[in-house]
Amino acid sequence: MEPSNTPLLDELEEGQWPSFVAQLKQAAEKSPAAADLLRQVERSYADNTGHWKRGGIVGVRGYGGGVVGRYSSLPEEFPGVKEFHTMRINEPAGFFYTTEKLRQLCDVWDQYGSGLLNLHGSTGDIILLGTTTENLQPCFDALTEVGFDLGGSGSALRTISCCVGQARCEYACIDTMDITYDLTMHFQSDIHRPSFPYKFKIKCSGCPNDCAAASARSDLAIIGVWRDAIQVDPQAVRQYVADGLNIIDQVVRRCPTWAVEWDAQTQELKINDADCTHCMHCINQMPKALRVGKQQGATLLVGGKAPVVKGAQIGSVLVPFIEMQPPYTEFKELLVKIIDWWAENGKNRERIGELIDRLGMAAFLQAIGRQPCAQMVNAPRANPYLFWKSEEVQQNG
Amino acid sequence: MAKNDIGPPNYRDMLPPIVRENYGRWRQHTIPQPGVLCHTSESGAVLTSVRVASPRLVSTDWVRQICALADQFCDGHIRFTTRHNVEFLVSEPAKVEPLLERLEAAGLMVGGVGNAISNVVHTQGWIHCKSAVTDASGLVKAVMDELHPYFTGKRDVPARLRVAVACCVNMCGACHCSDIAIVGIHRTVPRINHDMVSKSCEIPSTVASCPTGAVRPNPKLKSIDIVAEKCMYCGNCAAVCPAIDIMDPVNDGVSIWVGGKISNARTAPKFSRLAIPFLPNRPPRWPEVVEAVKNLVEVWRGNAKPGERMGEWIDRIGWERFFKLTGIPFTDKHIDDFTHATTTFRSTTQFRF
Amino acid sequence: MEIRELGGKQLELDEDGFIQDPAAWDEAVAAALAKTEGVDEMSEKHWKLVNYLRNYYLQFQMAPMIRKLCKETGFKLNEVYELFPSGPAKGACKVAGLPKPTGCV
Ligand code: SF4
Ligand code: SF4
Repeated sequence: MEPSNTPLLDELEEGQWPSFVAQLKQAAEKSPAAADLLRQVERSYADNTGHWKRGGIVGVRGYGGGVVGRYSSLPEEFPGVKEFHTMRINEPAGFFYTTEKLRQLCDVWDQYGSGLLNLHGSTGDIILLGTTTENLQPCFDALTEVGFDLGGSGSALRTISCCVGQARCEYACIDTMDITYDLTMHFQSDIHRPSFPYKFKIKCSGCPNDCAAASARSDLAIIGVWRDAIQVDPQAVRQYVADGLNIIDQVVRRCPTWAVEWDAQTQELKINDADCTHCMHCINQMPKALRVGKQQGATLLVGGKAPVVKGAQIGSVLVPFIEMQPPYTEFKELLVKIIDWWAENGKNRERIGELIDRLGMAAFLQAIGRQPCAQMVNAPRANPYLFWKSEEVQQNG
Repeated sequence: MAKNDIGPPNYRDMLPPIVRENYGRWRQHTIPQPGVLCHTSESGAVLTSVRVASPRLVSTDWVRQICALADQFCDGHIRFTTRHNVEFLVSEPAKVEPLLERLEAAGLMVGGVGNAISNVVHTQGWIHCKSAVTDASGLVKAVMDELHPYFTGKRDVPARLRVAVACCVNMCGACHCSDIAIVGIHRTVPRINHDMVSKSCEIPSTVASCPTGAVRPNPKLKSIDIVAEKCMYCGNCAAVCPAIDIMDPVNDGVSIWVGGKISNARTAPKFSRLAIPFLPNRPPRWPEVVEAVKNLVEVWRGNAKPGERMGEWIDRIGWERFFKLTGIPFTDKHIDDFTHATTTFRSTTQFRF
Repeated sequence: MEIRELGGKQLELDEDGFIQDPAAWDEAVAAALAKTEGVDEMSEKHWKLVNYLRNYYLQFQMAPMIRKLCKETGFKLNEVYELFPSGPAKGACKVAGLPKPTGCV
């Protein structure tokens, strides 16, 4: 047998977890680019560093993003990855596919690219890994023929993604997939033609469990919520207890607001809804017995982001409750105001959360025409250094 | 000729009939066995979802293999999760067992539902990222080869545990709010190719890119300088200017962060905090990293109460006890000195010895 | 890196076709670069955009943000794409001889 030329990566074919090396090798059988990728990655494993150049700006006609240019820094050794660009393809909302649609995608990608892809990238896109500059336009043309389009990259509205929502989750207070699709279609130009100070991410989760990780990483997070009483099915609660759920330890004592009471004698569950902060815990524990309330909408949080540039932020409450019914006019108008203020005032590579930090939440709220409310803060300020506008004080004092 | 701005396929055309018919009408769910979800609609329809780990980086042939199974068992429909899992959506209960058998025979791993370690969210690493300190796919593979019994449910855990890997401090993918985050880091000041700066860098943007003001213009060389004492090796300058190189294969390494979460259940979402500032970057198996992650999982598993996530457990027992129980040394690196550092200092006499 | 003849000069280009020495730029070079971006004929409007970028760069050593460009030249974003189908960053900045705008992160 021929000795393998990727001894280090071969070690990662062992073991039970699905192996990406096996995938690389499978693609390498058909694609010289994938074969050279395999060899270049082996080289990285040997010398402990990546071998991609920085920069790279390529694209397709009429678009300012959606393709990330990538060039090997060792093109003589690995000519197959001399040009190895990524195409970000906007996923269908909720990541549902027909196998027919996926096969069409694969056929195009086998023809024009390396045959390697991510399902999916962190932002939500299908990531097609590795094609040449020359193939970009024909590949894009073929993709649009089968109904796919590029996602966002650079200083643009990034591809929007969401949790499964009402398609398969009884917790969903909003139609995450419709919101995602509607906003994606409405803001196509902002996704495809970057014109912002930096990236802007929108993610949508159906309930406060936030399966789409919206508040941690989106500039504007849409999280489904209710504002009336949790719906209780007393019989089903009793059934959970009869089946062995330790309701005191697992539910009552772990409700963060002590809103849940259980009377062991009468076998009655009571929820003090005025105290409840709709954290989802009790519902998660007894999904057959408890349901989210009927007055449903969303909380919007602003400013979530990963560490670049000035440290990570988790989104903070901007709108405690907004109705989310198509065509989402109130939301869209608010979004445009937010972006306009940011585009007007933001520096290059400054995310909205950092700009709010720099210019102050009060200035931001005023610019987008929203009133402050107590849900926005953990606590009011403790320092005495308040700003007063000239119209708030007497001029002749 | 391409059509522009057609947008993604309409999700409505992608849904299996059972989902279309019961959209917004789901009432409850159970987890009948690890990796399997069973949803019931108010119409009485029952949908079984079988979750399978993917390596995230896949070949078109693998996708076709998955599609063939979906044709046979799910009437040609398939779904993915935000954490790179595949979901087979089965509308006929009789097909669930045969599907599980076929998945097992095909070597596809079922799991990642409920109280389990879910699939690992990760970045591109050396496969495709220009700023990768380490290889994300390889780290995931090495770690999960050890931890997969917690994915499949062969070993149980007190609560869900979300692991993420980021190959640099950009931390794409909400890595910074994970129960365990594995992050590639630099430890040395970037080097500057002055010749190249004058040609291919926007000097003002590069100066502005540095969060600590360490980058200064050098008008004499038409280039920039970096004040070494101010640099904390974030790599922002190198991201903006290709003439700056921060890669240092000898000193770059891997750090580990713990206790973050994104869900609002019980407690507010929170950041992961530094547990281990530096471990060597040793492909292909990263033994030190794997050992450290295993230790964290096992100490948490042995000490947390049922339902307690990593961060909630640490909140209850306190960081001082976390470091004692895990045997991880607490060092000067653990004390924050960036923006808002003082908000992380303890200002009470309430702590444990 | 590759050396190519553009507008009567031998110029060094990076893999994306951006010129490496911003000082070597002149109008003939710009016209030649425009052809590589699918612009066969530089109209008055093209020049207006390119000259704006060029002057901004000479003054500030960086490219303007897109909205600023639109505001100050009076072109709407879609008009910029009509003039330069590969967009302001890849198309117009390249023709104006600016350093490559930085990528995705
Ligand atoms: S949702 Fe959370 S806060 Fe509300 S009652 Fe249930 S456990 Fe308590
Ligand atoms: S690595 Fe970060 S801190 Fe250091 S000089 Fe560059 S931008 Fe500044």
